[in-house]
Parts: sequence; C-alpha cells; structure tokens
Amino acid sequence: MTVTPEPAPAARAVGTALILTGIGATAASLSIGLDQYGRWGARYFPLAASASLLVLGVIELRASAKDRRLDRSHLAAIAGLLALSVAYVWTISAFGYLIATALAAPLALLLFGVRSVAGLCAASVLCPLAYHLVFFVGLGVFPPLGRWFDLLDLIGGY
Amino acid sequence: MDIIAGLATVLGDPVLLAWVLLASVVGMIVGAIPGLTASAAIAMLLPLTFYMEPLPALAFLYVIGKSGRYGGSIAAILFNTPGTAASAATQLDGYPLARQGKAAKAMKVATISSVIGDLTGEILLIAGVAWIAAIALRLGPPELFAVYFAAFVVIGSVIGKSVVRGLASAALGILVAMVGLDPISATERFTFGSFDLTNGISLVPLMIGIFVLGEVFSQLETRQNQPALAAASPGDPSDNTLSWAEYKPCIPHVVRSSFIGAFIGMLPGLGSAIAAFVAYGEGKRRARDPQAWGRGALEGIAAPEAANNAVSGPSMAPLLTLGIPGSTIGAILIGVFLIHGIQIGPALFLTSRDLIFALFACGLIGIAMYGVIGYFGAAFVGRFITRIPAQVLYPVIFLTAFVAAYTSRGNLFDVYVMVAAGFAGWGMRKLDFNPAAFIISFVLAGGAEEAFRQSLLLSDTGLMIFVTRPIALAFLLIGVGALVLRVRRLARQRHASVQGSV
Repeated sequence: MTVTPEPAPAARAVGTALILTGIGATAASLSIGLDQYGRWGARYFPLAASASLLVLGVIELRASAKDRRLDRSHLAAIAGLLALSVAYVWTISAFGYLIATALAAPLALLLFGVRSVAGLCAASVLCPLAYHLVFFVGLGVFPPLGRWFDLLDLIGGY
Repeated sequence: MDIIAGLATVLGDPVLLAWVLLASVVGMIVGAIPGLTASAAIAMLLPLTFYMEPLPALAFLYVIGKSGRYGGSIAAILFNTPGTAASAATQLDGYPLARQGKAAKAMKVATISSVIGDLTGEILLIAGVAWIAAIALRLGPPELFAVYFAAFVVIGSVIGKSVVRGLASAALGILVAMVGLDPISATERFTFGSFDLTNGISLVPLMIGIFVLGEVFSQLETRQNQPALAAASPGDPSDNTLSWAEYKPCIPHVVRSSFIGAFIGMLPGLGSAIAAFVAYGEGKRRARDPQAWGRGALEGIAAPEAANNAVSGPSMAPLLTLGIPGSTIGAILIGVFLIHGIQIGPALFLTSRDLIFALFACGLIGIAMYGVIGYFGAAFVGRFITRIPAQVLYPVIFLTAFVAAYTSRGNLFDVYVMVAAGFAGWGMRKLDFNPAAFIISFVLAGGAEEAFRQSLLLSDTGLMIFVTRPIALAFLLIGVGALVLRVRRLARQRHASVQGSV
C-alpha cells in the first residue's frame, strides 16, 4: 500500500517563503536579549528553529524543478471567508457579540451557498441567541462587550 | 487493581457515565461526517470542558477520539468517502460490499473489529503504562531532550507527503511556541513590542484555528466541487446479518492488526491512518485469497478497522509518561490537563494515579458503548449524516470556532490568533505542510527547551553530554535514522515511478 509521491505544489514559492521567514526569524532571534550573565540561553531554540527553516527553504528551492501548479480556482471564496473572519472579530470588539453574530451568521451561510432569505433571516436571530444562551448565560463566560455600542446595554445586561 | 478501582469509580457515577455515553454518540457522528475529524470536534469542544471536573472533561474528549476513529468507517462504507483519514483503507472493501447491498454486514464487521482492536490497545496501555512511567522517571534532562528531538524529527518527517515541509511545519511550531517571555530569564522573544504577545500564543485558539477553522476553509474550497452525499442502498435484510462462520476468518486479521495498531500507536506522530494501511497491506499479503481484497472482502474491513482503533490507547502512553503527544488528539488532551492544573509526565502516576486509571476505565466503557450503539445503530447514524446539510453545518462550525476561541481566556486577541491559525491551517493543508506536526511541535517545544538548557547547565562538556550518555545517544540516532529511512524510501518510490512512466 505505497503511494507514489507526487511533486509538492508551488515548490519555488514555498522555498522562497521559507528562506525569507528563516532569515527574518534568525535576525529576530539574534535580537533576543542575553541573560544577566551574558549567556545565549534564550536564543538557542529560536535560532535553531530559524536556521532549520532557512536550510529547509534552500532544500525546497533546489527541488523546485519538479514544481506542481497550485489549484487557485477557489481563492476568491477563501479570501471572502478570511475577510468575513477578520471583520467578524473587529465587529465583536466594536459592537459586541450579538450584533456581530447577527451579521456574520447569514454572511457565512451565504458563502456556503444558502440562498433562502427566510433561512438567512432566521440565522441572524437564532445564532446569536443560541450562542449567547449556551456560552454567556449557561457557561457563565463574560461576553465580549462592544467599545462603541452593545445591544446588551439596551436590552438590560446579560 | 488500579483499573478495578477506576471501573468502580466510573460505574458508580451516573453523571460520568452520561458524559461517556454522550461522547460515544458525538464521536461516532463527527467521525462519520466526511471532512470533520474527531480532532476538530475535540478542539471545538475543548473550551466547554473548562467548566467541568477534570475526569469528566478528559473522559468526554478521550472517548470522542475513540468513537470518532470508529465513526469514520460508517462514511467510508456507506458513502465511499472516508469520514477520517484512518478509515480510507476501510473504504477499499467496505464500499464494494455496500454496493452489493451488504452495507449493514460491512458495518457490523467494522464495529466488532474496531471494538476488539480498541480493547487490545487499551488493555496494553493499562498493563504497560505504569511500567513505562517508572522507566521515564529515571530519565535525566539529556535523555529527555533526546526523546524530544526524536519526536520532532519523526513527527516532522514520517507523517505527511513531504519530508521537507513536514520538518518545516515542526520548525514553525517551535518558533511560534517561542513567542512571549523566556521562562528562565524572562527575556522577551518575538513580541515585537506587542503587550498581547508577551503572554505567548495560547494553545487552545491555535488548535481551534488549525483544526476547526482551517477545515472550514478547506471545506469551502472542496464542497464547491463535490456532489451531495448519497448513501448506498441498504439491500436485502437477509444479506445484512453477520454469522459466526462469516466473521471467523476475520479473527486472525483482527488479532494481528490490533497488535500492529498498538505498536504504531506507541510511536509518536504515526497515527491511525498509517496503522490502517500497514494492517491492510499485511492482511492482504497473508490472505488466503488476496484477489478478493478490494472487491468486498470482510477481512479487508476487519484488518484496517482493528488497527486504526488499536492506535487509540497506546498513543496515550508517550503523552502520559513523557508528556509527548503521540497524536493530534493527544496534543489537545494536553490542553485539558494543563487547564485543570495537572502536570503530565512520569510523575503523573505518583500525583494523579486514581484519575488516570479512572480515565482508562472510561475508555473501556466508552468502547463498549460505541460498540453496542454502532452494532445496532450505525445504519441509522449513516442516514442521519445524509440529512445534515453541509451548507448549514460548516457555517455553524465557523461561528462555534469563534465563540470557543474567545471562551478559552475571555480575550479577543485569542480570536485573532484563531483566525490567523485557521488561514495558516488551510494554507498548510493546501501546500502539503503538516498541521499535526506544527501543533505537536508547538506543544513539545517548551519541554524540549527546558530539558536542553538544563542539560547544558549539568554538562562540563557542552553539547557532548548528549552523545556521551547512551540512552540520549540512542534516541538521537533513532531520530536521525527515521529521517534517513524516510528520505530513502521516498527517493526509491520516486525513482520507481519515474522508471514506470518511461
């Protein structure tokens, strides 16, 4: 039951990225302060990992002749989900959990292909309600409150 | 005798039994959903267990891991889509049987074999783990560092498609673990002036990002190309009973595969997918009729299912005795131990012996529970899975990941970490990096660094301390040897494929 190895995707780009990360991490490792006796103790592991990345990047780049093209057909959808993720966290910090989730839930469903307007509306009400009840009421976790506005202030706490 | 006391503890606590039962069902369902792994479910549910007592929390997640491995076979047999990587070998004979209208017979073989394999692994763990811990207690920092080194190299190089990218994943995991204050000198490392980073990167949001959000990104990509799941026809009910005469030829395969799985489980990082394929290959080599394998042989289901479940128990041995997780589930369980203030490692058997044997007892009861539920209800679980719309499931998982990451420390910075880790996890899967090696190395880095620096303080000869102590040298050589063997094997396969294509 052996699987024939196929070339790794985007070897040139990955090799270059590893080398650049290795160089950056090595520089950052060398800027870690020494201890009171002037020893390198805190630098050993960061330096070893950084140098490993550098060496592995060089090896990867040398193998880049057998490059395999990367499937980029769904990058727009991935970028959309990433943008939604970042926006969701920012909205939580600005407007609190309830409003942010009421906005994020239908958008996430839309990205995954749900087109029913009734379903999307239901999600924007039921999702914040369900998560709020389970995590912030049931488990007693202190909810993330919005800096600018929070619905919990309006509806009377949590 | 410890396990008898553990069983008495568990059987006398109905609430604990209810958690184990719930974990059996949840694990089975999660394992049966293609693309959603037991690791992802455990990472997502981890914050819920912060509010539980240590034993129910550990038992809940441990049993989800066990029944999740078994649940993967349901999707493999019914939908020709393995629920987990570990059940990909089961698919080879399971789906042909389902197409012959014998899906329920195939699932019964998978259930019985999984239960026997899992029980074998668990019994070996119970019998051997305290003995391994006693040996581990005698290891000094140089030996411990050498064990960590071997684990880094084996985990980075042996699993995954690319040795270079696997090792790079491990190195990246170490680098991320270095963020924050140095535990000895309190020097800032990789904090870049950010106050949030001085506390370091927390394990829970990192795991949720890599295993849960990363999977959501991957599913968004793959679901657009995939048709909806369709279960194979249940067929004639008389074809779906399993007689002793039919199962008897499977028994040698189940016994052999259980030991193969248990052995592979003890080695950090190899995991149940490798165990299943090794057992399948070995079973086919020794089969009376190898031609029947791949066309619906019951033995072809029994062998990989016994092996992939036998991994579960022994994979806990390096975790509990050395603090080295043998699998991603082990890495996640480390989070539970740490959150509940339980220090893992060889001293665990001195400080929390009752807890550990009660956990093993929960494992045994969990195996019995998923065995009974699976034998009589696997087909129902299969039908239930087809009714869960992926368009709704993955957005719900997406939203749950955010609240779970926040719950771990009540900190929105952790949620940003989770998002970054999710995107990185997707990128790692896409580029053949190894997310499991990344996480396991992240977990191991702290202990490895401590052992390394303690060794240097003990040493009069600097780094030579690692080669002058025989056990340390042996583990260093095991690491290097595993790397060399893996590189040579891949080179040989590549050479053979080039020659084959000429």
